Amino acid sequence: MERSLIRKEVLPFLVMFGSLILATVITDALLHQFELVWIGRWLGIPGTILILASFLYSMRKRKVISLGKPKTLLTLHETLTWIGALLILVHAGIHIYTILPWLALVAMLVNVISGMTGKYLLDRSRRFLAEKRGAYSKQGLSDEAIEKKLFWDATTFDLMKKWRAVHLPITMAFAVLGIAHIFSIFFFWQWK
Amino acid sequence: MKNKTITYIVLLNLTVLVLLAIFIPHLMISPGKLIDAHIDLTTDCFACHTPFIGSTSENCTECHKVPEIGIKTTEGLAIDKEDKNVAFHQKLTEEDCVACHSDHKGVQAFRPIGQFSHQLLEPDVEKQCDSCHLNPGDSLHQKIKGNCSSCHTQENWTPATFDHDKYFRFDRDHTTECITCHISNDYSNYTCYGCHEHSRSKIREEHVEEGIYDYETCVECHRSGDEDEAESIWRTKRMKEGKSKGGTRGLYRREHDDDDDHGEHDDD
Repeated sequence: MERSLIRKEVLPFLVMFGSLILATVITDALLHQFELVWIGRWLGIPGTILILASFLYSMRKRKVISLGKPKTLLTLHETLTWIGALLILVHAGIHIYTILPWLALVAMLVNVISGMTGKYLLDRSRRFLAEKRGAYSKQGLSDEAIEKKLFWDATTFDLMKKWRAVHLPITMAFAVLGIAHIFSIFFFWQWK
Repeated sequence: MKNKTITYIVLLNLTVLVLLAIFIPHLMISPGKLIDAHIDLTTDCFACHTPFIGSTSENCTECHKVPEIGIKTTEGLAIDKEDKNVAFHQKLTEEDCVACHSDHKGVQAFRPIGQFSHQLLEPDVEKQCDSCHLNPGDSLHQKIKGNCSSCHTQENWTPATFDHDKYFRFDRDHTTECITCHISNDYSNYTCYGCHEHSRSKIREEHVEEGIYDYETCVECHRSGDEDEAESIWRTKRMKEGKSKGGTRGLYRREHDDDDDHGEHDDD
């Protein structure tokens, strides 16, 4: 119960995000190892499709559709965006040739982070704070003492709530930049 | 800060970014720097690109006239030293510049110029490797002219499939030019009658004396200058054939009587 919020909740989140980056590095290294770098060029397509499919949850949440259990769709949302983000990251590689796709990539990463914040931090830390507060209360501490003891945890929790609020606008930024990138590819692609 | 305010700020930024992509595409969306020769076209995407079509060969040949490639620059100046690797452009079956060329650094990895397909060449030029490729000039290749496909493929220089030892091992008595055995540089065939030591009459005489009438395909037994080895191979061969045919010496003689007659005429 005395374990800090950062150690108990932030670290698993970092592990989840770190695993995405690690998976990207490994996939990219394998493609290079087996001289299959050309595959990376096309991974943007399945990556985009998976991310688009993950919006089923967002649509369900906003009652645009009524099909599917929200909990199942949320799990699907998390899984598809993780894999989709992995494919997009491999697709981007580490070559910086131009600005727009990189901005789209940064927007995607911020989006993924804000999404993981929601998954790993917000719900669990709310529960964690309530448990801690209950425990201190049982110990007979006064409200003032409890607030004092929970100060840093509560501050972290507040910051997380604000961070979570970025998820939707940053999704919009990712969508616009991603569409601009895709449009520019269609516009200049060698179709013949 | 309220969510709405954040949204408006994000939207404003996005509008600016999209406008930048439209007005300075070479910085915002161009997949890498152009090749040095085309660097002046950096800000003019549509000099090469047709929207939703791509870069057409017609766009390229407006400046790069096919008959002049490798001969004159796009400004009409004569190229002093013709580059053999460029002049083949006049012999292509179709003009498909972007099949091999890409001007953007970011795309070159996916369309390297080394991916040139020989099938794009006119059939008569396709076989003339040395019209584009230089002989590497090593001790083996110095002696060879043409017929590269006996050993090399059109995809890669190596691995070369040829291992001469599989057919015949050179020794101190066989340090000769390739053309001595491979007449007209035809490496799919050979003759051992190319030197004085192995005249047709002498070889026939030596073999017939030993009762050998099937002596035209020399390397079947002679894998080097070692005669003992040749004799051993021949005996093994004769034993095998004797088993399968129930004794073939008479047959050999009959089969090659005609050859001997022809051989005599050849020698004359």
